[in-house]
Amino acid sequence: MMYTTKVIFQIGILFGLFYIGSYLKDLLHIPLPGSIIGLLLLLILLLLKILPIHWVQDGANVLITFLPLLLVPATVSVMNEPSLFSGKGVILFGIIIGSTIVTMISAGWGSQHLERIAKKRKENVRCNNSLSQ
Amino acid sequence: MQQFLVSIIIVVLTVGMYLGMNRLYLKYSFAFLLPLLTTTIAIIVILSVLQLSYETYMIGGEWINQLLGPAVVALALPLYKQRKTLMSQLVPIVGGVLIGLVVGMISGVLLAEVFGVSENLILSIIPKSITTPVAIQVASAIGGIPSLTIVFVLLAGLTGAVLGPLIFRWFRITSPIGRGIAFGSASHAIGTSKAKEFDELTVSISSVSMTLSAILGSSFGTLVVWLFNM
Repeated sequence: MMYTTKVIFQIGILFGLFYIGSYLKDLLHIPLPGSIIGLLLLLILLLLKILPIHWVQDGANVLITFLPLLLVPATVSVMNEPSLFSGKGVILFGIIIGSTIVTMISAGWGSQHLERIAKKRKENVRCNNSLSQ
Repeated sequence: MQQFLVSIIIVVLTVGMYLGMNRLYLKYSFAFLLPLLTTTIAIIVILSVLQLSYETYMIGGEWINQLLGPAVVALALPLYKQRKTLMSQLVPIVGGVLIGLVVGMISGVLLAEVFGVSENLILSIIPKSITTPVAIQVASAIGGIPSLTIVFVLLAGLTGAVLGPLIFRWFRITSPIGRGIAFGSASHAIGTSKAKEFDELTVSISSVSMTLSAILGSSFGTLVVWLFNM
């Protein structure tokens, strides 16, 4: 019971940050969704140690664990789009699969290269340091 | 009062169905048994049999839907916990995520234009590599159709989870950083759960790049639309 109360309270805090984020979005015309502004606010509060992590940890874990459940109602809305499962849909699905493959290859390959460059640079710095000593 | 009762029934049905489907997935852990996919299909079937509309379902569905906002806020936590991993490999991670975002959005637009897909569909394709709760908001912000975007996001996730291991072998993507970023920036949460079959570092890199993709991607969508003059 203690745990449930704590989780509900912590989800309340996350709700609060979401509303503040949405409010700031409208007030300052920030081109980001209110929830992302809330995420950034929470990150700042945690980094500056204004909000201790154990104040939100359990509530956040519950929401993240059950994220697929939270997405069910929004996903059910696809029943209003029957055209997706016709001939045209097959082309769209092909586009998504193709684009995802290209994305995986370039993001994976690109970051692996950046990692190697970063490593080499570190080694060079180390070499130069040892030479100068 | 009746409205309230309907809401309770819908919430209980959705939660119960999800918990059952989740058990099924844990037992067989086959990508196409993903609880979100199976639960959604089951609910659509039930609604069709009972001849109920989506709007009726949302009387109760809205209660669950309301939690998506705070759930996105909660994604700050894994990012905060992995800040050391992020800072130690800042250039490859941020660089890789940016590559993933640019390639993910632009390749979608270009392929769609090649096949003569209409504009509102292209706008729904753009956010497909971003985690669903954020992708929905990006889609409605740029004029796409959120319910189509959800399907595209799901498909992008499944594609990455199923083909990821093959792509890594064929294109010699061997480092945990490369693999994690490929999973996280192309296939968001579904890719991240597949990363659990690799090692600890791949999972945390994937989760970090998924969140970074969501943060950066939420403004990137607008930029791509402007770039292509849509």
